[in-house]
Amino acid sequence: MNPRNLARTAAVLASAVIVAACGGSTGGTSYGSSSQTGTLTVWLMNGSAPQSVVDGVNADFRKQYPNVKVNVEIQQWSDVTTKLDTAFAGSTPPDVVELGNTLVAKYAGAGALMDVGSHRSGYQNSATWLQSLTDSCTLGGKLYCVPYYAGSRAIIYRKDMFAQAGVQPPTSLDDLMQVGQKLMSANGSDPSFSALYYPGKYWYAALPFIWDFGGDIATQSGGQWKGALNSSQSQQGLTVLANLVGKLSRADKTGDEAKQDAAFVQGHIAMLIANGWEIGVITDPKTGDPSLKDKLGVFPIPSHTAGQTAPVFLGGSDLGVAAKSKNQALASTWVGLLAGAKFQSQMATVGQVIPNTTMLLTLNQNDPLIGTFAQAAKNSRFVPNSPNWANVETANVIPDMLVSIFTGRASVADATASASSQITQILNAKS
Amino acid sequence: MCAAPLTGDSTQAAVGPRTGARTGRAAPRRRLGARAMPYLLIGPSVLVIAAVMAYPLGTLVGLSLQHYGLRELIAQHGAWVGLQNYQSFVGDSLFWQVLARSVAFTGTTVGLSMVLATLLALLLERVSSPVRLLLSGGLIFVWATPVVVAIDIWQWMFDFEFGVANWLLTNLRVGSFIHHNWFESPLQGFLIITALVVWGALPFLVITLYAGLMQVPRELVDAAKCDGARPWHLFWQITVPILRPLFLILASLSTIWDFQIFNQVWIMLNTRPSSGFYVMGVYSYVESFRVTQYGSGAAIAVIMVLVLMVATFLYIRQMVRTGELER
Repeated sequence: MNPRNLARTAAVLASAVIVAACGGSTGGTSYGSSSQTGTLTVWLMNGSAPQSVVDGVNADFRKQYPNVKVNVEIQQWSDVTTKLDTAFAGSTPPDVVELGNTLVAKYAGAGALMDVGSHRSGYQNSATWLQSLTDSCTLGGKLYCVPYYAGSRAIIYRKDMFAQAGVQPPTSLDDLMQVGQKLMSANGSDPSFSALYYPGKYWYAALPFIWDFGGDIATQSGGQWKGALNSSQSQQGLTVLANLVGKLSRADKTGDEAKQDAAFVQGHIAMLIANGWEIGVITDPKTGDPSLKDKLGVFPIPSHTAGQTAPVFLGGSDLGVAAKSKNQALASTWVGLLAGAKFQSQMATVGQVIPNTTMLLTLNQNDPLIGTFAQAAKNSRFVPNSPNWANVETANVIPDMLVSIFTGRASVADATASASSQITQILNAKS
Repeated sequence: MCAAPLTGDSTQAAVGPRTGARTGRAAPRRRLGARAMPYLLIGPSVLVIAAVMAYPLGTLVGLSLQHYGLRELIAQHGAWVGLQNYQSFVGDSLFWQVLARSVAFTGTTVGLSMVLATLLALLLERVSSPVRLLLSGGLIFVWATPVVVAIDIWQWMFDFEFGVANWLLTNLRVGSFIHHNWFESPLQGFLIITALVVWGALPFLVITLYAGLMQVPRELVDAAKCDGARPWHLFWQITVPILRPLFLILASLSTIWDFQIFNQVWIMLNTRPSSGFYVMGVYSYVESFRVTQYGSGAAIAVIMVLVLMVATFLYIRQMVRTGELER
């Protein structure tokens, strides 16, 4: 499909007359004809694709379907599930939806998404899609979405602050604590200073600590889930994290990570657990401070075993087509473009995310900042893949547990026991 | 008790038809349509109430008797489970905690706002006109502030990092409030939320009570003063009995409003309140729109309606009795 697409694009560029002739030819993910009319509604999440990528996809799409109007609407992450529930319940949901990879199982399980398995061979690079993203799209052996992009977390730090305190990026969790404490004392005069800024509800960043000690969120055996946050390994990881937060962070213990980049720009923070694309937010002239660019460094979240790194949560997004969509063929074509090689390369270079295929992972490899994030993704884990998982998220089980621990409202043992039984109950509930 | 000016409205409404029937002049013409007329008159309001109240409430009750998750929502067809949603609350400690919290919160806010409103209304009656103008102007401003804007302002005032409250308390040497997080413990958090709700409720209560105070007959007060009544006695023996119906109406309205509180918790806690901050409205919303169990979410809403019906029934019965006594 790739060569044919390229050939067509070249032809289009060469002459507008040929557009009409070529538009009719179908190949790969293209269906229908150039005379097809209608409106395609696409929901993308805030911060996922740079505007230039969206414009590029739409431009290529218009070459195939000049009479189809594409409406790309940007949604906010907070409360997106409420909006998606309502949209999927209606008779005219958006045709294409970007779904956080932890949310796909919920909507696939409820019958909201079209089974795109039969189109798989038509999507570019589908043989080399990232396994973890493909897994998040798969439920009961069927494929309900197309991997879009991935993101993993590492620690962004201020090189100038490290130099001033005379410390190097840490190589173990103990080392992280020591480095942090040196930074705290070097900046003792600043009452707002955080060596490691950690808002209390930031649960994605807590998972590496749990996994590093061999703990987990939940385990499955015989079709039944069992919460595992109360295992001794999980508790050990959380105790280490609580210590770090207590000694190194002055972030809101009840807050979430939504504003952490804005806080970082203020200059009272030395280390931040963040996604690769957050570098873009921090150095953006509008939302951040471009002069920080040269002062930033990145290192992976260290393991408690010196020299190793902790497994990180592989976040990301997938692209689904609504089961109730009346333009499923058009929707699939649009998805194919954004998930294809041309725009995935741009997602990696412009959007600074991890593209959906191992073929393109080398694009960021040599970038001293983004390269570390791509590297971290290789040692990554995922949340329990259950249609009920989204309810664990929306019920705020893990953030509540973290807040209880960090504020000292409950002991690690009590907080994890309560969260664990909640998770067991939610995951095993009839959806 | 001569409470004619105040209870005038209800008395007239209750007596009205009877006086009308007694006047002979219009009687022959009225006899024809006499039976239909009341129904015709009440018809439009019954229709409107049925459309905006009975239908949604009926749907809500129906929903509360079904298992209605995301799958059912997308298929637009629920599965009948009878009272199962309600039964599941019996053994659910979270539900009882939330119910108890809501009742305690409502009691506290209603009590506080009624007492403060009465004090402010009495103050308003006694101050000079410029001060009264200033005070009532301030109250109107509070009233005119949209609730979401008000919550945002309060959120900033009590922000753990940049809030003026922490700065002020620290500088007044009340203690060290630098980086004090008011929402770490639900008890302190509810202190702020209670203050916010009471603050927002005061204008309406004060202005209504002030209008009520204006209706206390001057001669009664003067007569009591002549008999040597102290201010304290004046208040309890004359003002309170006369304002009693008004107190009842305001207290029942406040109960309804405060029991249903949602925005103040939801927005104040950035739409992600921990379960320690759940009140009934929030719990119902979370169960429906976050956990996508619309059936049990609806059941919580139905229980809210029932609790309010019982609570307001007591008030209304008391009100009707008072009205009958005074007729």
